[in-house]
Amino acid sequence: MTGQIELEAKNLNFYYSGNIHALKQVSFFAYKHNVTALIGPSGCGKTTLLRCFNRMHDLYPKNRYEGEIVFQGKNILSKDVDVINLRSRIGMVFQKPTPFPMTIFDNVAYGLKLKGINKRTELSERVEKALKNSAIWDEVKDKLNVSAYELSGGQQQRLVIARALAVEPEVLLFDEPTSALDPISTSKIEELLVQLKSKITIIIVTHNMQQAARISDFTGFVMLGELIEFDKTDKMFTAPSEKLTEEYITGRFG
Amino acid sequence: MRRERLRVIQSHAAFVVSTLTALFGIFWLVFIIGDILIHGIGALNIDLFIKDPAPAGVEGGGLRNAFVGHLMITLFATLIGVPVGVLGGTFLAEYARGKKIARFISILSDIMVSVPAIVVGTFVYAIIVKPLGHFSGWAGAVALAIIMIPVVLRTTEDMLSLVSWTVREAAFALGAPYYKVILQVVYRGAATGILTGILLSIARVTGEAAPLLFTSFNNSFFSTNMNEPIASLTVSIFQYAMGPYDSWHAQAWAAALMITVFILIITVLGRLIIKWRYKK
Repeated sequence: MTGQIELEAKNLNFYYSGNIHALKQVSFFAYKHNVTALIGPSGCGKTTLLRCFNRMHDLYPKNRYEGEIVFQGKNILSKDVDVINLRSRIGMVFQKPTPFPMTIFDNVAYGLKLKGINKRTELSERVEKALKNSAIWDEVKDKLNVSAYELSGGQQQRLVIARALAVEPEVLLFDEPTSALDPISTSKIEELLVQLKSKITIIIVTHNMQQAARISDFTGFVMLGELIEFDKTDKMFTAPSEKLTEEYITGRFG
Repeated sequence: MRRERLRVIQSHAAFVVSTLTALFGIFWLVFIIGDILIHGIGALNIDLFIKDPAPAGVEGGGLRNAFVGHLMITLFATLIGVPVGVLGGTFLAEYARGKKIARFISILSDIMVSVPAIVVGTFVYAIIVKPLGHFSGWAGAVALAIIMIPVVLRTTEDMLSLVSWTVREAAFALGAPYYKVILQVVYRGAATGILTGILLSIARVTGEAAPLLFTSFNNSFFSTNMNEPIASLTVSIFQYAMGPYDSWHAQAWAAALMITVFILIITVLGRLIIKWRYKK
């Protein structure tokens, strides 16, 4: 199971504008080609932590990081990091499906075009590959030129995953990707995540503890901006070492 | 029991009053449009479109100069007003989102929307016509553009704000710089709404006479020179309707009909675009 560490946060502190201390001394890592889940009560900082990994917080003024996040040996919080390049290597999928107002094909091709790939044949190949990898090819192959809005919510979410996969990122961050979906769509996406980990490293924020237990190899439990416990998922859900974790997992609060 | 009766009476009274007021409003609307149709259709003839005005008092002639002038002024007003409005709206919704300056400009343009058109006309008279020493088509186009800008700006701002923020974040997360996010994702999502706003703003300015009286004035001869006074349908209507000749009155009716039809077409087009959008 274990192996090389892909992404590691070292003593990470994060402040939202107005000096709101949202993450406190978080040290966390994700093994390459594993699924790592982040669980915890609402507003605890799971999503804040996830959004540090692709520097999403940079979009808003006065947000501040302290500490280090090491990605393949390099601190991605340092000033000389090209954020645009970073985001094409560490992709993100959001809670609600976020198809762009364009055709299914153009949605998946969008990231590729940003990278300067414009040759029609190469685009077609890579779009097809991404759609196949996200298990939606059979449903959309006859309507690639149809607006992405015509798909169902679950299909849109898999399309968005295909769009993120098309640029061949090394890490994909998922922010509660199934919380807006029905159970069947949810199980399709869960299967997909487990398949994808042979190629990429996945970090997923989820409110659903069964989901974390089903699909993740490692789990981190976050509360009030601190990482309370981090361990193999099997161990975390059967014999947690912290009392808080146990209370949360057994549903005594949250 | 008595309270129940009272409630029924109140309900009936409200129904009757609201129906009557609605009928009152609709009556005048139908009256105006009907009047324009009756007088206008009778006065329509091919000369109206292909001949220039005959000398005062002489029968015949047409309003070719006014049709062409009107189109030119409206076209150039659109070319000036739309880019300024769309870019201004983009600034408010994107770069200044949530900042005080955005709120301030929004409120200011809401006020601008309801500034009387004649005030805009006199303003342009003071800043363009007076310094240059003569009326001109450009001054007319600028006056209409000033009326268009706040309408287009606010529509653009509203339509861009409707595009959800997470869609922008999704584009950022793929490594897109902000200008590409706006151009390739946000504009696409808001395109039909913005287009509808532009069409409605064209419909709004094309019926204006007051701002043109002070700016493009009028010209009895055919001219496409925007540096000179240029004829427009609305100013011609004003002049002809006030004039002493029956043939002038007839032509004013015909011109009024044509403007009404033009506004109708643009408005229906705007509605169709909205409908088409929500079907998707």
